[in-house]
Amino acid sequence: MPLTSSDQLSFDPLSQAFAADPYPTYAALRECAHPYYYEDVDTWMLTKMADVESVALDKTMLRGNDDVLTDAERKAQQRKMNWHDMPHHERFVQFNLLESEGDVHDRLRKLVFREFTPGMILKQRGAIQAFVDQLLAELADHNEVDFVEDFASHIPGHIIGRMLGVPDEDCPQLRVWSENVVRFFNVGCDDNDKRIAEQATKDFYLYLLDLLKLRKTAPQDDLLSRMLLQKQDGLMTEDELIATSMLILMAGHGSTIDVLGSGMHSLLQFPDQRIKLRDDPSLIKTAVQEMFRYESPLPYFHRFATQDCTVAGQGFKAGTRFGLLYGAANRDPARFDAPDTFDVTRSPNRHVAFGGGTHFCLGNHLARLDMDVIFTTLNERFTDIQLVDAHPAYKSGLSVRGPKSLRIAWRAV
Amino acid sequence: MTKVTFIEDNGNQIEAIAEVGQSLMQVAVNSGVSGISAECGGACACGTCHCYVVDNGLVTLPTPDGDEADMIEFVIDPKANSRLSCQIAITPDLDGLVVHIPASQT
Repeated sequence: MPLTSSDQLSFDPLSQAFAADPYPTYAALRECAHPYYYEDVDTWMLTKMADVESVALDKTMLRGNDDVLTDAERKAQQRKMNWHDMPHHERFVQFNLLESEGDVHDRLRKLVFREFTPGMILKQRGAIQAFVDQLLAELADHNEVDFVEDFASHIPGHIIGRMLGVPDEDCPQLRVWSENVVRFFNVGCDDNDKRIAEQATKDFYLYLLDLLKLRKTAPQDDLLSRMLLQKQDGLMTEDELIATSMLILMAGHGSTIDVLGSGMHSLLQFPDQRIKLRDDPSLIKTAVQEMFRYESPLPYFHRFATQDCTVAGQGFKAGTRFGLLYGAANRDPARFDAPDTFDVTRSPNRHVAFGGGTHFCLGNHLARLDMDVIFTTLNERFTDIQLVDAHPAYKSGLSVRGPKSLRIAWRAV
Repeated sequence: MTKVTFIEDNGNQIEAIAEVGQSLMQVAVNSGVSGISAECGGACACGTCHCYVVDNGLVTLPTPDGDEADMIEFVIDPKANSRLSCQIAITPDLDGLVVHIPASQT
């Protein structure tokens, strides 16, 4: 039985209070002398920036713990997590670029990373702008909208779908599948979530198989067609191609929608900052960075120690699971002055919202370009934006952060 | 003692004393150089520590290869003297190194 630090601390990431405002809990965790052991998921929670960075950058800390477990132990762990008996999820989601390590990870990442490098992503600016303009034209008669559902939710999936080679009309369905698959990674998921996630993965798989058949006979200028060539050259298997496609589509949907919603919410909670950005659009890059720091859309990832180690001054055995609470580290006063203040001019802003090390977010430049185009355009088009609901509800759980909806009233220039 | 100089896009010069064993990126971050955010922490995975090495006759760096070369090909405004500062290990030979920070990163 591991020692539990700070027994008095109330840590309930599934509570409504945590969803409404996790930052007091994060602050309390950061102030503990030792990492907090969260028994529900057998994980030591790291909340100080120094600890989070050191583990994220440590090459002996891996996403998977296959190296330190026997096959029987691995299967027992899978059962404990309730990740067993879901064949498509195990095949295409529990194994992918994100969940792999070493040579397999490096090989898969190299096959797609060029598409996501800064220079390649910048070529998407025109497509993003055109789609944002189209959406705003469709909403021209609306003085009040749900910024998340009516606007933000359409954009990231449309852009990543185009890059991959998915027809525009299929993007709404892909969003549903993505959300149903990703939801299963949250703490507190149940058998119903499991059933839905497995079905969504299967449907997603069959859809991609059909699309790949089309690309095989008629290749296009898209990532799917290029990955098919890589498969034909023996550089990746069909399962890896499917898993990589799913990962790119899933990663390209939810978190960017979440940070668009929370970014807008932050601007409206700090109106002086919105005015500052409106009056000086050149601040957009630092403003977007601050949106990611202030409300990190993926606040929790994990690593396994593959050898005995010392973290935060404490000794741990190989096989220990660490929680990297990026959302907490990004409010660490040891790294950031006035960390609970949203400051669109903050620079340097060395946050860890995209993670760190070899698993650093592949789509970071695309997410930032989406945000850059969207908030620049909104600042040009709308003189006044107001919150309709002063306290929008946020998604619950530890793994995601973003408003469920965000009703705003806006007035065009 | 290895002295390196960073020239930010606005012309601001920052001189730093680098320790052998550090990466040039770490020196930049520790010196508060604007435009070297180095977000992935040195894994050659983000391209946010891109810099241009100035040919001042004092320092010669090898041509980048592997992951670094792949990333440089697709950073914004790549040039023949582009490097990722996270991949440059400080040695005594680098005394006098001068790098420019790209305008795209400020």
